[in-house]
Amino acid sequence: MIAACWTVLRKELLDALRDRRTLLTILLSSVAVGPLVLVLLSTLVADLEERAEAREIVVVGIEHAPTLRNYVERQTFRIRQAPADYERLLRDNRLGDPVLVVGEDFEAVLASGEPPRVELLSSSANNRASAGAARVARLLQGFSQEQAMLRLAWRGVAPSSLQALEVDDRDLASAAARAAQWATLVPFFVLVAVLYGALHSALDSTAGERERGSLEPLLMNPVPPLALVLGKWAAVAAVAMLIALLSCVSFLPGQWLLRSETLAAMFRFGIREAALFMALLAPLAGALSALLMAIAIRCRSVKEAQANAGALVLLVSLLPMLTLFNQGGEAPWHLGVPALAQITLMGRVLKGEPMAWWELALSLGVCVVAMALCLALVARTLRRAALQ
Amino acid sequence: MIDLRGIARRFVQGRGASRRAVQAVDGLDWRAEDGCISGLLGPNGAGKTTLLRIVAGLLVPDAGQVRVDGIDVATRRSEALARIGVLSDARGLYPRLTARENIAYYGRLHGMTAQAVRERTELLAQMLQMAPLLDRRTEGFSQGERMKTALARALVHDPHNIILDEPTNGLDVQATRALRDGLRRLRDEQGKCIVFSTHLMQEVERLCDRVLVMARGRAVAEGTVASLCEQTGEDDFERCFVTLAFAGEEAATRMPT
Repeated sequence: MIAACWTVLRKELLDALRDRRTLLTILLSSVAVGPLVLVLLSTLVADLEERAEAREIVVVGIEHAPTLRNYVERQTFRIRQAPADYERLLRDNRLGDPVLVVGEDFEAVLASGEPPRVELLSSSANNRASAGAARVARLLQGFSQEQAMLRLAWRGVAPSSLQALEVDDRDLASAAARAAQWATLVPFFVLVAVLYGALHSALDSTAGERERGSLEPLLMNPVPPLALVLGKWAAVAAVAMLIALLSCVSFLPGQWLLRSETLAAMFRFGIREAALFMALLAPLAGALSALLMAIAIRCRSVKEAQANAGALVLLVSLLPMLTLFNQGGEAPWHLGVPALAQITLMGRVLKGEPMAWWELALSLGVCVVAMALCLALVARTLRRAALQ
Repeated sequence: MIDLRGIARRFVQGRGASRRAVQAVDGLDWRAEDGCISGLLGPNGAGKTTLLRIVAGLLVPDAGQVRVDGIDVATRRSEALARIGVLSDARGLYPRLTARENIAYYGRLHGMTAQAVRERTELLAQMLQMAPLLDRRTEGFSQGERMKTALARALVHDPHNIILDEPTNGLDVQATRALRDGLRRLRDEQGKCIVFSTHLMQEVERLCDRVLVMARGRAVAEGTVASLCEQTGEDDFERCFVTLAFAGEEAATRMPT
């Protein structure tokens, strides 16, 4: 039985590895996309940081407000005149900074003790500009506060009497937890890599065998169907794990490509994390392979099987969204759902948070049970499938 | 030797109102002897393929017993299968593997060593005149090349009992003659039991020592080509077969079900 499993495993691996074109497509789609997205993301973050550091403010009509100009320059900000058609540029996403519009009567209104009105233009559809708007608003707040202080001091009132409350900001997230916000994408890409790695070989070794008419002669060999199924399953899971490994490894150099220094410093994904990912993904690769085989063995052609497996692919790709949209945070039942459990646990690895043994055992146990059930089902169905 | 006793198998086709039962094999007794090429003849739907699948252990009969060299297929399937080589109706190959790898896969599944598989492959390649094909991928093989590869695959473990479902389909004259010679040699030199299912009367006349004629899942006649011709009073075997098969069909339709 073991010798037969081994023979089937070797043949299926050889068969899968000879299918260069499919393998290349899988590699490109699941291994290259992850790091690519990460690098694009880092470019965006780096751009935002650059703008934050640039200390530049785009203004219309600064000549009407010498007091404001004096304050802004004391804060070491550089003032830039807005282009003429700034509204359109902002709307079209071509201007990356918010625009401050100062009225002609600014100085006169300020001198009379009334609050002059300024406009801060940005667009919530323009990410870069709206990110900068908060910065400009803070600057204006500072100016407003300074003016108020000066007036109070002129009248002999202590400024602290107006400030009944002092607020200190403290961010409790560790550096690793902050990085995990950006890095939630990594487990998702690795998970999808496992799925796509398993998909093709699972379908080819079940529905493909039926379509080619090679399943019937295969079953006429003196080998129990379970041995054939186990050999095929091991090959499918091995290919899935190989793709997962490549996907994990591809994030290592991806990390050096990160343009943003802050992001690179926060994004902790080293050899240790990659190894932990692989350990977490192994049972999932096994369960998904078995599940895909159980779906595909009922189909007469690879095409039919692809249509049927589509539902599973969609479900597994959507599960991680649950963690993104879920306001309630992580729930214990998440660890009982394959794929969702692995996403959650991989997220913990990235955040550097500990895992309890029962959590690991639960996610592993569910995968093993699902795998055993599916494999038993495939072995039972195999002979009937060969004849239909 | 393949011994069939009271084999019966029913299929249910369709669902709901269109549901109907088909008796594919109906109480069949037959024995294919060692050192003999037995022909299995019958019109389409006579139950030949079902019968061969039962012998190969793919289908479990509703009633009856199949023994291969005295081994019961129902209880000792693996042992029985190790003694049969089947070229079935479905003869799909793995297109990304070479012919040699396709053959070796089955050899290894039969528990042969790599060395034994190599030697046996060379021998079969010679017999089937397929040596130049061995190291090519089977993707793009012609019908005849596929057939040769599938046949070599079925015979790789040197089985004592050989079941061939229309083996000359797609073979050219040269290859057909080579196959015929090969089968005769296997019968005469090694005393193999060979079962041969075909539509070609000429094949049967040239090759088969005994013939079983099936119709509607039953055995309607059994004997040598000469004895069957004599039985029907025909001197042409094709006419003889038509008479037997149709008489059988009429008899079967008259039977209460």
